[in-house]
Amino acid sequence: MRPRTALLILLALWIATAVLTPLVGSQPVRLADVLRGDPTVAAIFWQIRLPRILLALLGGAALAVSGLGFQTLFRNPLAEPYTLGISSGAALGAVLALRFEGGQFLGLSLVGLASFAGALGATALIVGLALRRQGIQTSTLLLAGVAVSLSCSAIILFLQYLSDSTQTFRMVRWMMGGLSVVGYTEVLWLLPWVLGGSAALFALRWELNLLLTGEELAASRGVDLARLRRLVLLATSLMIGALVAVAGPIGFVGLIVPHILRRVVGHDHLFLVPACILGGGAFLTLCDAVGRTVMAPAELPVGILTALLGGPFFLWLLVFRRRE
Amino acid sequence: MTPPVLLSARGLAWRSGARTILGPLDLDVLRGECLAVVGPNGAGKTTLLRCLTGLLEPSSGEIAFDGRSLASLSRRQIARRISYVPQIRPARVPLKVEEIVLLGRYPHLSTLQLAPRREDFAAVDEALRVVGIEDLRGRPVDELSGGERQAVFIAAALAQESELLVLDEPTLHLDARHQHDLAALLLRLKEGTDHTVVLATHDLNLASLLGDRLLALSAGKALATGTPAEILRQDLLERLFRARFEIVRGGERPVTVLDLNA
Repeated sequence: MRPRTALLILLALWIATAVLTPLVGSQPVRLADVLRGDPTVAAIFWQIRLPRILLALLGGAALAVSGLGFQTLFRNPLAEPYTLGISSGAALGAVLALRFEGGQFLGLSLVGLASFAGALGATALIVGLALRRQGIQTSTLLLAGVAVSLSCSAIILFLQYLSDSTQTFRMVRWMMGGLSVVGYTEVLWLLPWVLGGSAALFALRWELNLLLTGEELAASRGVDLARLRRLVLLATSLMIGALVAVAGPIGFVGLIVPHILRRVVGHDHLFLVPACILGGGAFLTLCDAVGRTVMAPAELPVGILTALLGGPFFLWLLVFRRRE
Repeated sequence: MTPPVLLSARGLAWRSGARTILGPLDLDVLRGECLAVVGPNGAGKTTLLRCLTGLLEPSSGEIAFDGRSLASLSRRQIARRISYVPQIRPARVPLKVEEIVLLGRYPHLSTLQLAPRREDFAAVDEALRVVGIEDLRGRPVDELSGGERQAVFIAAALAQESELLVLDEPTLHLDARHQHDLAALLLRLKEGTDHTVVLATHDLNLASLLGDRLLALSAGKALATGTPAEILRQDLLERLFRARFEIVRGGERPVTVLDLNA
């Protein structure tokens, strides 16, 4: 399949997902009723379903594009935004806010803002390492991310140990990740981050393609590796931080989607970045639609669903696919 | 008239901690010549090439390219004038031949343009033609033999349209047939284009065939510089490699063979 054809098919899939998923859920909605202006149905559709779908479309794009950026940057098929401790940093921020009872600020919950700060803090630590003059090795950066991640997890466990059971439950629930309580505020908050981050990675498509031929060759062709690393890390962490602030950590989308899409559109980032925007958005929206219906009227948090799918995929990747 | 020296290094040294890996050494690369760097493992050949391409910042000394300090040029400016075919590359590169060669155009592209221009594609076609791999253009590079793959990366370096081509061990891991083909390709490039070439190699016969001058590098220092006939002498090679070589054919471009029985 030509990359352009694949991209068109993905676009069709994306549109179909955006149009059809708002209709499914614990309370099925008919498009005709929405258009006729039935007040109950319209409220469900416009106030509950649509913002949620929009957030899923944006969030999935953020996750997939970031995953792609990390996998290319680290030349490691298993890298994703969360490998560098971004989600653990975010979780630590959220858990701290929950422990000390956060309120609201500028329409966003303090928990969300604290997690955004946590995500950026974790990245700042990594970028700080990357910025050191005698250029740090990419593999070292990856290991540093794992170390940050483990440290944050330990502090989270310690905080949970100190908290009462209600607080602990809220912490655990937050860490499952989900899109259940969202409105247009969250959508508008996420939009600029995702647009900006994706645009940055698309602008860096030549550099990312060159990285596929090795860092040494990329540098000899004129790529400033330190600057590239900085830009990719910044763009991805802002996107992911902004998403985690409203939806909690949602794992594995950043791992699964780029891998599938590489097989469909090839390795050229000119096509891969848009493919990840479309494919990631559609995938997360579909997962969320499944999560809303499988145990209706109860909901399965989308973070659990993506992890359930991601775990076996991860195994398959480790065991059956040769290292790239 | 343009000055004959394209690249010159003065007091060039590179140290890792307290250990001196390279230099201090002085070196001139003349326009249009092929300089072959020979020497044992760990002599600093790759370090020298990486300094000359601006990939490594020298611990001390100055490198000037066409009269301008290399340190004052941006990576992109350097890339428009010097192309490099490194020895170490990722084991797998998931791209097609023409995609890799097109990436050689990177230093000529602007960040704002969405697609390569016609002249970029023309440079790719020309590079594929010169190297003689037009029929491979749509193939994934991972499916090719080691020799073909090397040719692809040389084509990419040519598409870069630089004046200086730096090659690190171009025949490493190639069998006899592919070594022969690659040597023929490099000879053709040397004679058919006006590239200046610096190459590092373990293969003394390749150095003899291609080199206008040879630089014998030993423990980071220049042991000797001269024509192939001046360098490929039994006594000098024995000092350089601490192994015995037989000169099986003399003349301007001697052919040597390692004597394992000595």
